[in-house]
Amino acid sequence: MTAKIQPVSCSKGASHTDDTIPPQLLRAIAPLHPTAMGVAWAVVCGGLLTLATLYLMLRGPTLLQFDLLSQFFWGYRVSVGGIFIGLLWGAGVGFVLGYGFALIRNAALWIWLTTVRSRAEMEQYSDFLDRM
Amino acid sequence: METEEQEQIEHAVMVLNEKFLGTALGILFGSMLFLATNFLILKGGEHVGAHLALLSVFFPGYRVTFFGSLIGFFYMFVLGFIIGIVIGAVYNKIVRA
Repeated sequence: MTAKIQPVSCSKGASHTDDTIPPQLLRAIAPLHPTAMGVAWAVVCGGLLTLATLYLMLRGPTLLQFDLLSQFFWGYRVSVGGIFIGLLWGAGVGFVLGYGFALIRNAALWIWLTTVRSRAEMEQYSDFLDRM
Repeated sequence: METEEQEQIEHAVMVLNEKFLGTALGILFGSMLFLATNFLILKGGEHVGAHLALLSVFFPGYRVTFFGSLIGFFYMFVLGFIIGIVIGAVYNKIVRA
């Protein structure tokens, strides 16, 4: 199946020879970049909390008590100052979530790959004694 | 495993497809609100979904009714799609830098 695929390396500076791994296979087992994922989640979470605070400030009082977020995010309020504090808290929590997600996903992938490799090696050497 | 292959795998980093990630997150977010709303409707009670109904502050038109759950699905799908696009774009920009 992989014989039809043009082998293109995803790594920087690697030569495109016949020995390179097919990109489809490489993509399937490539790990996530934890810092990049953390930053991406930080942008989203910080941005969402900022926009939500700004929207509630412009809209005026509602039944929704968004200030209750201060139970978790110390110093947060639906106010001008709260926008910046919310941005910092959202970005911080988002970074931890994204970084943690990438780490756990990479760990799960590593465990799976190790299991597959171990099984393949065991199958390869299962008839070792028969050949002696 | 050959050294070159080993190096390739060690240096490879996954690149995300923004549109697929957005669609996946959109469906996930939308389904969550759809199911949560309908769960509360089926559960019944005196004040059905009094707290969940507060989402109408951010999502105009959303109610804890079946029709409201469809509106909620739409809103959350759009939100999830945008989040997926932003995550994918920022992540890819950093990885490719």
